[in-house]
Amino acid sequence: MNIIELANLNAFYGNKKVLNNINMKIKKNKITAIIGPSGCGKSTLLAVLNRMIEENGGSIEGKVIFNEKDILNYSKNELRRKVGIVFQKPSPFPLSIYGNLAYAPLYYGVKDKKLLNDIVENKLKISGLYEEVKDDFKMSALELSGGQQQRLCIARALTVEPDVLLMDEPCSALDVKNTTNIEDMLLNLLDDYTIIIVTHNLFQAKRISDYTVFILDGEVVEFGETEQIFNNPRDIRTKEYIEGMYG
Amino acid sequence: MSENIKELLFKIWIILSGATVLFLTLFIFGYIIRHGFQSINVEFIFGSPKGIPLGAEGGVLPAIMGSLFLTIVACIFASLLAISTSIYVVYYCMSKKIENIIHIIIQCMAGIPSIVLGLFGYTLLVVNLKLERSLLSAGITLGIMIFPFIQVRVEKAFRETSDTIIGSSYALGVSNSYTFFRLILHMCKFEIVSAITLAGGFAMGAAAPIILTGAVIFAPIPKSLLSPVMALPFHLYILIGEGVSLEKAYATALVLVLLLLIINITSIVLVFRKRGAN
Repeated sequence: MNIIELANLNAFYGNKKVLNNINMKIKKNKITAIIGPSGCGKSTLLAVLNRMIEENGGSIEGKVIFNEKDILNYSKNELRRKVGIVFQKPSPFPLSIYGNLAYAPLYYGVKDKKLLNDIVENKLKISGLYEEVKDDFKMSALELSGGQQQRLCIARALTVEPDVLLMDEPCSALDVKNTTNIEDMLLNLLDDYTIIIVTHNLFQAKRISDYTVFILDGEVVEFGETEQIFNNPRDIRTKEYIEGMYG
Repeated sequence: MSENIKELLFKIWIILSGATVLFLTLFIFGYIIRHGFQSINVEFIFGSPKGIPLGAEGGVLPAIMGSLFLTIVACIFASLLAISTSIYVVYYCMSKKIENIIHIIIQCMAGIPSIVLGLFGYTLLVVNLKLERSLLSAGITLGIMIFPFIQVRVEKAFRETSDTIIGSSYALGVSNSYTFFRLILHMCKFEIVSAITLAGGFAMGAAAPIILTGAVIFAPIPKSLLSPVMALPFHLYILIGEGVSLEKAYATALVLVLLLLIINITSIVLVFRKRGAN
């Protein structure tokens, strides 16, 4: 079942066309990896999906259907609650660990202390951070290590119960151990969430994704099952990229 | 000229500049302390002006309280206006042209001589709005004077807030106002309080804007916002201008300088706390 469908999608920053005629269907409860060289439009594609592109002064043409409804028919806030995003650079709020995780639920009206505690604990457990921080929820999130901060940001994105989690190179600043932790976590999330991950790490895309899309100069060159893309690419440009001819 | 001589002259210039500033500051403080300290006592701090002419004896409590009240009114008025303007310019204004116009207006306001602001306050608040010469009229006039000072600093603090963090908040689907009150204000609170505190010091030391709008010679401690008020800089001006008492004038100057020092140190401590927190 498709959760997101892109049809004839173009994206612009000012007069500059950044994405050109994107057509794609994202499967529910699967991991889709977006790969491609720097500046090809991968992050812009994520920004389109939860309309963060509008905050950066960009605009779109064409259709993006999410849960059978055009994203422009959702309010921005409603859409972003359903389509969460985790950025490349860990961005904990300068609040306590608890404050970070309670931030969005409090906005959505969760006032019951016990329910709030349950949400915080549950999401920390999902992100694999609970055992590391359970004795000090009041500690500033800024005191966590880079890997812990990124897992906290993922846990925070999950507190609003999104359907889709967008991830913009979430492991690019992390070491192998933290990368493995996050990859394991993502694989465990698939029962409840759909994940779209932008990555420069082709091995990571191969390891965790079910589908892969290769973007070049704002256009989709190839989209298919990860195994097919990596083992039997149909387009010569995909083959060259995967073989490291350019990047 | 060889590079070494240039380097030497540059060093001498820097050291001389630093030494001049240090000397002037210490000289002013030393001079005021030397001439004013002997008149400082409990009666001077907690008493009202007495003697003939009035002010030759007694104390400056009404002026101290008046200055504090004026500073509070000015800070409340200016900070509300400055924070709102900064929010609009940074988070809501989509037009670069409007943003530039606002910046030009603020720069012009910063350049208005304080006596002209006093005349403006007199015409608008005292005469037209019939607020009389009062704490409120003088406080608002001082508020207009320090508004650009606070606005520029608050806007800078907002602009330096990490875009990624704000983006992460928007990405959770929360509203702009929730992001502002729960996150941005929390992140910028030290800078905002520091800017307001420094501006308060600036307002406390100003005499020109309050002469026509609220200051009345030897007024008692104001009982309401519409009461006339006495302030330390105006008290100082009267003591010297009318030749009442040079000794008391130095003591008044010392009290004023000490209050400003406390305000500035508070501001510096806040900035260091922020750096420590980061």
